[in-house]
Amino acid sequence: MITAEQKPIDEIREMINPYKRILAVGCGSCVAECAAGGQKETAMLASALRMAARMNHEDVTIDEKTLDRQCVRDFVIQLDDVIQNYDALLSLACGAGVQAVAEMFPEIPVIPALNTEFLGETRDQGLWIESCQGCGDCMLYFFGGICPISRCSKQLLNGPCGGSKNGVCEVDPEVPCAWQMIIDRLARFNALGRLEMIYPPKDWAKKQGKGPRKIIREDQQS
Amino acid sequence: MNKADIKPNGMAAEMSNGQNPILAIFYCQNIPGGDEGSRQELESHYGESIRLFPIPCGGRLEPLHLLKALETFADAAFVIACPEGACRYFEGNRRAKKRVERTQAIIESIGLEKERLGILLGSREKPKTLSRWVKELSEQTSRLGVSKGRRL
Amino acid sequence: MNETSKLKKVLEKGVFAVTAECGPPKGADPEAVTQKARLLKGHVDAVNVTDNQTAIVRMSSMAACSLLKSEGLDPVLQMVVRDRNRIALQSDVLGASAIGIRNILCLSGDHQVFGNQPQAMGVFDLDSIQFVQVVKNMRDGAKIIGGDSLTKAPELFIGAAANPFADPLSFRAVRLAKKIAAGADFIQTQCVYNLERFGKWLEMARDNGLTDRVAILGGVTPLKSVGMARYMKSKVSGMDIPDAVIKRMDGAPKDKQREEGIKICVETILQMKEMRGVKGVHIMAIEWEETVQEIAESAGLLPRPG
Repeated sequence: MITAEQKPIDEIREMINPYKRILAVGCGSCVAECAAGGQKETAMLASALRMAARMNHEDVTIDEKTLDRQCVRDFVIQLDDVIQNYDALLSLACGAGVQAVAEMFPEIPVIPALNTEFLGETRDQGLWIESCQGCGDCMLYFFGGICPISRCSKQLLNGPCGGSKNGVCEVDPEVPCAWQMIIDRLARFNALGRLEMIYPPKDWAKKQGKGPRKIIREDQQS
Repeated sequence: MNKADIKPNGMAAEMSNGQNPILAIFYCQNIPGGDEGSRQELESHYGESIRLFPIPCGGRLEPLHLLKALETFADAAFVIACPEGACRYFEGNRRAKKRVERTQAIIESIGLEKERLGILLGSREKPKTLSRWVKELSEQTSRLGVSKGRRL
Repeated sequence: MNETSKLKKVLEKGVFAVTAECGPPKGADPEAVTQKARLLKGHVDAVNVTDNQTAIVRMSSMAACSLLKSEGLDPVLQMVVRDRNRIALQSDVLGASAIGIRNILCLSGDHQVFGNQPQAMGVFDLDSIQFVQVVKNMRDGAKIIGGDSLTKAPELFIGAAANPFADPLSFRAVRLAKKIAAGADFIQTQCVYNLERFGKWLEMARDNGLTDRVAILGGVTPLKSVGMARYMKSKVSGMDIPDAVIKRMDGAPKDKQREEGIKICVETILQMKEMRGVKGVHIMAIEWEETVQEIAESAGLLPRPG
């Protein structure tokens, strides 16, 4: 999932300042799971913004609507009926959602309410962990299902570095050393031999070789 | 309900106009004096200066309801839950406390006093009746005055 | 410009090698480097120049190496993969060889969060082992990544680092073997204070036949005070300072702590000289270059071969 966190209210207020009729648009997918931009969070933010506007004697309307997904046009189109009532959208989606909405409605400003963080998992209630960089060439097999590109602070493919101590990373004692985890896990499968080869430099062209990436699947096209 | 908790005073009537603080209280039905009869008695005593909302579990209350109360009619909004560890829904009130703290941070960030919103956990040793809570909270609220964020 | 690495020559002769470290200044003053050069000249075989160590911006390692060279020293260019991608790294390798630098130490580098530019993008396009392999292919195969040929191959004696004190110990020999397989000619270790653990690590390396395939130079850093010892123990990552060493420093009177630090350092070198598989010592006297001569002298490492 894509994780995000809400921007500070002051920053949001500054961005929406020029506009009088604003629709706060939540997203019911990833950012709902990470409690940043779902229906509940959208209602909270809109309520706080309305109060803030009233306290500052600003004549502003802030309505709310949450889409199932903001990054899929079939859902974004649901804004079609209401969009004429507003002069700005405040999107509580990830960066992809914000841009998908903006792309679809070029005539109206779309303002981001969240900071998009990373691709990760919900490890526990209230705890999300970065685990994937979307590198375009998954190497998890070699490393026992633990990604050194995402979870080693130095992205080592031939780790661990000299800063691994007692299972934690030198960068932050709260961060487990990915390489210690890789070694432990491969040892469990009797597959430590996989780490004896030198993994060659990563092919970053698969991530950024031709600029922004796209996936084309003819079998999925109409 | 304990009659002694309600002291007759003239304040209640004065508070009924829109310029006086209004208190919203969401309370767990399981607290002492949380029955329907007590609620009606308290409401008739305090008039429009308080609104009482019985809920099945204080720990289950979404902070959004507190925020909405502040936005639409209240000058202060509180949830009263069972003592820590006594929640029927297991840990409900501990998590609720964290969520309310976050909501306090939100109202603070827009310039409202964070004291206008809160969660109160009962004590097992010295349980307080609903009417006692209401009395204390309404005194607290009158000190805060009318909220600038409330819709008048 | 065709001179070879002095460090390489010394090691090939089977002489116990001595290298030192020179940290470039936080400024553009060449004198700061040449002064250090004069303190070290004649007492060591080669001098490492750190590359923005602890991620603090300093004069470039390449430039400081060039200054050392003009003072007649044999510099070891330290290069970290933290700040440069593969294009910049390979380009700098060619440049280094062109200006007569003959030794390189390939490192990952301290993470940027530790320094004075914590907002920098950490590059880490290659890791240190891949970098060793890249330099080796450039030198021996005259080829860069992707296979393009060089008009002239760089001439470099290739080094890598090892930390015998990092975890997991059992995997440290595997990683050392990978560095050797990648092409490391010499290894400089993290500062040794815990000789027992160093011995264990060395034994693993010996058992795997690694000490015959690479020249291991044990790292040492003289302690200036008990405060420094405590600081390094708790704050410097990858450092292992046993309590006994701290106690010994603490036991020395304040005005004698420097002497005690030097004594510990010399004793460590003497012990390392006796350990099978240690081919030299790397003295990292941090902002204390003037002490290197004394340490080398006391450890019976002087005079250096010409």
